[in-house]
Amino acid sequence: MASAHASTGEVKPAILDEVNPVDIPRPALVANDRSFSWITDKICGIVEEKTPTWWWVCFVLACGTASFTVMGLVYLVSTGTGVWGLANPANWGWAIVNFVFWIGIGHAGTLISAILCLLRQKWRTSINRAAEAMTIFAVVCAGIFPVFHVGRVWMAWFLFPIPNANAIWPNFKSALLWDVFAVSTYGTVSVLFWYVGLIPDLASVRDRATSKIRQVLYGIFSMGWRGSNRQWSNYEMCYLLLAGLSTPLVLSVHTIVSFDFAISLLPGWHTTIFPPYFVAGAIFSGFGMVLTLMLPLRAIYRLDDLITQYHIDCMTKIILATGTMVGYAYGMEFFIAAYGANDFEIFAFVNRAFGNYAWAYWIMISCNVISPQFFWFKKVRQNTALVWIITIFVNIGMWFERFVIAVTTLTRDFLPSSWGYYSPTIVDIFTYVGTFGVFSVLFLLFLRFLPLMAMAEIKAVTPQADAHAHKR
Amino acid sequence: MKPINSTPATKAEQTGPRYWRSLDELSQSPEFLEQAHREFGVEASEMNEVDRRHFFKIMAASFAIGGVGFTGCRRPESNILPHSKAPEYQVPGQPLYYATSFSLRGESLPLLVETHAGRPTKIEGNADYKAYNGGTSLKAQASVLELYDPDRSTSFTKEGANLSKEAVLDVVAGLKSSIATSKGKGVALLTEKSSSPTRLRLKKAFLKAYPQATWAEYEPVATDNGKAAASIVAGANLEPKYDLSNAERILCVAGDFLGDNPGAMGFGKQFADGRRVRSSKDKMNRLYVAESGFSTTGAMADHRKRLATSQMTAFLAAAALEIELGVEGDALRPIFQKLASGLDADTKEWISKSMADLAHFKGGSLVYAGPQLSKEAHGIAFLINEKLGNLGKTVSLVEVDADESASIEDLAAAIDSGSVDTLLISGGNPVYNAPVEIDFASKLSQVETVIRLGYYDDETSEKSNYHFVQAHYLESWGDGRTYSGDVLAQQPMILPLFEGISEIELLGSLVGEANTDGHSLVYATLQKAGAKGKSGFDQFLHDGFLSDSAYKAKRSLISGMRLAEALAGSAAIAVPTGKDNLEAVFVNDASVDDGRYINNGWLQECPDPMSKLTWDNAIFVSPRLANELDIVSADSMLQITRKNPNIVKDGRSYSPVATVTIDGREITGGVQILPGLDNYSIILPLGYGRTRTGRVGTNSGFSSYAVRTSESATFVSGAKLELTGEVIQLANTQEHWSMEGRAIVRESNLDDYASDPQWVEKMGMESHSPPILGDDKGMSVQQRSKETPRGGSLYKHPDYTGIHQWGMAIDLNVCSGCNACVVACQSENNIPIVGKDQVRRGREMHWIRMDRYFSSGDVNDLSVIPEDPQVSLQPIACMHCETAPCETVCPVNATVHDEDGLNTMAYNRCIGTRYCANNCPYKVRRFNFMDYQQRPLDRLYEGPLAPKGMPELVQMAQNPDVSVRMRGVMEKCTYCVQRIQQGKIAQKVKAQDSNDIRIPDGTIKVACQQVCPMNAIEFGDVSDEHSLVSELQANERNYAVLGYTNTRPRTTYLAKLRNQNPEMPDYIDQPHSTTEYEGDSPHHGGGHEPHESQDDHGHDEAHSDSHTEQGGAH
Repeated sequence: MASAHASTGEVKPAILDEVNPVDIPRPALVANDRSFSWITDKICGIVEEKTPTWWWVCFVLACGTASFTVMGLVYLVSTGTGVWGLANPANWGWAIVNFVFWIGIGHAGTLISAILCLLRQKWRTSINRAAEAMTIFAVVCAGIFPVFHVGRVWMAWFLFPIPNANAIWPNFKSALLWDVFAVSTYGTVSVLFWYVGLIPDLASVRDRATSKIRQVLYGIFSMGWRGSNRQWSNYEMCYLLLAGLSTPLVLSVHTIVSFDFAISLLPGWHTTIFPPYFVAGAIFSGFGMVLTLMLPLRAIYRLDDLITQYHIDCMTKIILATGTMVGYAYGMEFFIAAYGANDFEIFAFVNRAFGNYAWAYWIMISCNVISPQFFWFKKVRQNTALVWIITIFVNIGMWFERFVIAVTTLTRDFLPSSWGYYSPTIVDIFTYVGTFGVFSVLFLLFLRFLPLMAMAEIKAVTPQADAHAHKR
Repeated sequence: MKPINSTPATKAEQTGPRYWRSLDELSQSPEFLEQAHREFGVEASEMNEVDRRHFFKIMAASFAIGGVGFTGCRRPESNILPHSKAPEYQVPGQPLYYATSFSLRGESLPLLVETHAGRPTKIEGNADYKAYNGGTSLKAQASVLELYDPDRSTSFTKEGANLSKEAVLDVVAGLKSSIATSKGKGVALLTEKSSSPTRLRLKKAFLKAYPQATWAEYEPVATDNGKAAASIVAGANLEPKYDLSNAERILCVAGDFLGDNPGAMGFGKQFADGRRVRSSKDKMNRLYVAESGFSTTGAMADHRKRLATSQMTAFLAAAALEIELGVEGDALRPIFQKLASGLDADTKEWISKSMADLAHFKGGSLVYAGPQLSKEAHGIAFLINEKLGNLGKTVSLVEVDADESASIEDLAAAIDSGSVDTLLISGGNPVYNAPVEIDFASKLSQVETVIRLGYYDDETSEKSNYHFVQAHYLESWGDGRTYSGDVLAQQPMILPLFEGISEIELLGSLVGEANTDGHSLVYATLQKAGAKGKSGFDQFLHDGFLSDSAYKAKRSLISGMRLAEALAGSAAIAVPTGKDNLEAVFVNDASVDDGRYINNGWLQECPDPMSKLTWDNAIFVSPRLANELDIVSADSMLQITRKNPNIVKDGRSYSPVATVTIDGREITGGVQILPGLDNYSIILPLGYGRTRTGRVGTNSGFSSYAVRTSESATFVSGAKLELTGEVIQLANTQEHWSMEGRAIVRESNLDDYASDPQWVEKMGMESHSPPILGDDKGMSVQQRSKETPRGGSLYKHPDYTGIHQWGMAIDLNVCSGCNACVVACQSENNIPIVGKDQVRRGREMHWIRMDRYFSSGDVNDLSVIPEDPQVSLQPIACMHCETAPCETVCPVNATVHDEDGLNTMAYNRCIGTRYCANNCPYKVRRFNFMDYQQRPLDRLYEGPLAPKGMPELVQMAQNPDVSVRMRGVMEKCTYCVQRIQQGKIAQKVKAQDSNDIRIPDGTIKVACQQVCPMNAIEFGDVSDEHSLVSELQANERNYAVLGYTNTRPRTTYLAKLRNQNPEMPDYIDQPHSTTEYEGDSPHHGGGHEPHESQDDHGHDEAHSDSHTEQGGAH
């Protein structure tokens, strides 16, 4: 070959002198060429306006719903875990399903804030604040279940490594203990991350505040933010570090939650695919929930210029990708079961699809694998109503995924003599429904008192913020 | 009391040496005298000049000081009063054991009862009585709860109003004098059957003193047809007694000799000994069973024939035709042929082949006729046994006392004729369980005075004028005889809790005994029976039984001619033909018996051995009848498959309600489909549907007595079953009955075992997975328990440094599934009952459960429910896995291993995450979902609004060595750790300085092991290679359930064997469950192909080499 080149007498350089990547025009992240002041007015206006009637209606409804959880828990603690539908062999039921469901929801926020931040995905700016709030509130809802599902909740502090008179430590081999650490760390870091991001915007609200109380309160929480270069520089570094810290957490939390199942020896739980599959599922459900929340907000507050079709497109594509991953995992479980030639494993998966919980399995498949496939079509992605409906399906499907995993395995494990059937009681149902109330109460308060978008960051991604934009 | 500092005596007063506390005292200084005079020092004297202000200041300060440290929040003081005169041998904290006996239906079982501080808590079998091996029955086990039943009758009443004990004694005295004057005219007694020599003595005295009185006896479940038959064919006052010790071939016809037939305790041991196979060369007995229902005996059968009970006489006649009848043959043969004419060809072949087998074992075979069979049937059975040379060997006729009592029908006739004005009903419950055509309740209204001696204030007490409180057998003196006639002692452990009196005390008063207390009465009887003098009596009480007091066998001949006469008139009985002409079979319930134990929670919650039903009875129908009655209709296939024979929806077992009509009388109850029943026989368990009982027994099932007459006491033809369209929920503890082709209970035919002794290892996942112990797979049980091989695991395993390593081996070949272990465990370990509703939800708390699987050979055929399945039973409790999966997942270290290899539970540490229960592959952990120990079971869902606290009476039943768990806590089998600790302490005390602290094998018996008459459970030290449990675990039939999961359970099982007869028409070359196992899994191929070796995947031969290498590298 070398001689062939030599014969022509010309050597082609391996490296080009100049690289001219094709300049793909990126869609503007803020439509209609909105100005900085418009953005500030828009976002702060939501916090400053008179409380709208719909908010009060929703708030009262949400409080009412949240009381279901409170009543359910009071009854549970006073009477016994037996008020739920649990029994041998299904010692875990809706509580654990709901826990995993809410933790999964809580995934999108930190993923958007941290991973997309590190990956310089600028479209994250208009959704990250609300998504992070969603994460924190979802973790709050999630945290209720593992605490209260134990038989003696007043002894739940045994879970923490508190030195005690008996010198008994928690069992560091147990995945439930890992959960305690994983979820509490995740919750703490998410709150920190969210709060740090809020500081410049809180300062804006403070500066615009007219009443003394607001000035004082927002003043306190904005921690003396003046917007100086020095502050910005520190702030950016801090934010970046937090993003770096959060990134592994995004992956670790649901990995560890999946260990609750994966480290057990039950057929259908004892699988190594669980960590990546759970993380994909969590991102899937998290983005589903982000869209479920953001689309109505966009309509109510007319935020079309800030949450553009491009944002929706990006998110639906992530849902499509993670949904397909989850579908792949479902298929792979069957393949491994068959390939592993373990009778119990094979039975567990055949039973999932065709056993007495087949209805739940096929709800899960339709919602999680089939429904996101519609996002291949641009028409669907552009139809906001349709997108919203599909995200609802995603939420339902992901709840059922956890239900299928937890319940089908427990009710049909090794010895057929102890097989049973699990069904929830009214207390299970009310306690779960109530958590949507808890979530809504918190989210409504967030809408009312905190800027729901990161104004400072959005301004940074407007075309006019880029002084050198014309050069591109 | 003198103050401590009181003034010392003056010198003048002192006589002895003088001591002083200080120089001040010596010198008697004024300061010292002042101080010594004061009791409380100077400060207290402030109080002398009390002014109000000062008083409050001091009081406030005292309260403040007193209040620090919450000294005011002391627990209420309660006084423990020591025995002013301690009972003999009483050591606080140590249990005492007394020998006594438990009687049911005239048969007594020898017991050893554990008492704590004077209260009986646990029934054990008397191991000194070798014939029963220390075993006890389920019902004897549960009887201790009856003693502490808060619903038991607590007061003597007259027409509902309370009566003092003194008044009762007056009534008895008045009765006695009136009987004496009338010579018993107008007086009748109705009692239960009893084998008590004392009662017999008093009965004779009674009838002698009052010849005109009527003495009637009634048992709803009669067991004396054998005696009646003997009087026909051999002579009066003879009773057949069976002995299975040398029976190599047994044909059981409509009997349940391992269940609740008389003598079951001894039969269990004898039968099990005949099946205790230790190597492939050992012999094993063979059991043929013909029955209409499904008994535990039927479940143990090697060959089982489903046949209507009405055909059993025909069955025996056909069996008799298969043997040499000798000179009487000519007379008998035509009668037998006529009787047997109704049998179909299949049945005849079955009989012919089985009888041919029996005939090979002359003198070593047995035809056992169920006690409920007619006397004619018993007569034929005697004849067959005699012709097979079994008389005097496996069955003998023993001399028993003449029975002079009238029947309940005679009594009813006497009442009708107006000749009874005083009726004394002792025990029983005839208003509930007398034959329905007698209408006993109305009979009682015709009698002027009805006196009832009853343990419960029940239906009969309600209709009586007087109700006397009967003492429990643990509260009263008495005696009784075992099946074979050995006299047993019955001594009280506790004074009657409610001043109850015993039957013999009442009788003693009536016949005018000098001393009417129970002790004197029994003492007097035993003086004649052979326990001579006080020392003899004390020895009798100590042993619990009287040696050499068994019934004496009488060499008798069976007269074929008299049998022919008796049978001459009888014709072949109509057989059930279809859904419009059913046969109803009455059986006494496995749990509540004939209804007497309906208020016993342990028995109510103990699952029926076959149907696994609790808290209710049901109309049991065969799958075919269910099909024909559209109980299983085509469109309900989604819910009813062969895996769930009954309608199961949302995990609850639903039963269609049906009405059974017999002779115009009706009963209504839930229908359960039970495979293995005769096609057109429906089984109606007795004992439920009581109308006046305690909290536990209320709303429990239906009463089959409502359709049962004296004629049809065992079975009746012509019954009709109609669905009402309603559906009720029953509480079934095991809804799924297929083993799903899994190697859980491993079974083989005996002949296959002989040809392939290693068959057990070739089953299960572990047979074709890499060896779980890697290089260490060849280790012995002892080595493994001590060295805990890692087997490639990443985790550090617990070090088993203890001197003992506990383990258990359960021989599935001898376990009959009688459930005695279930209740023994419940009693020993303070396990709560949870009630019908909670069982329906699946929250029963039993630490050991009896799994029951049906198999038919094809696990994938979902279209039909098999009619003739094989049954596999398996007791399952915590396996104490060496690498316990429950321990790794507990976040709070509440379940951990101890150095002796026990998987222990720290209840106080448990917060109730239930992860351990999820991760337990055997599902043996039990969670206290509700406050079962503290709240009334019908008000569990009211939480704190329900009253709290265990009734005081029930508290007395608790074992003080075991904690009572609260709600929210997980619990499970502990291998009776309290018994292990007691054993260790006792051995250490014994060892003193010798360091010989290893407990000898067999010293510690855990509760389930102790109670098992079959010796199916063996517990001991597996690190001792000479212990019995080690020998069993080293047996080639030994296997670990789910061994492939690497849990390394300390409880292992010895595989089950079936002794099939290749000549039989229903012979199958391997057990159905094995066929299902091999057919279900794609990897096991067909037949008995041995796998390559333990190292290989077997089916994956190309890679076998590399696997071996990997195995080596582990």
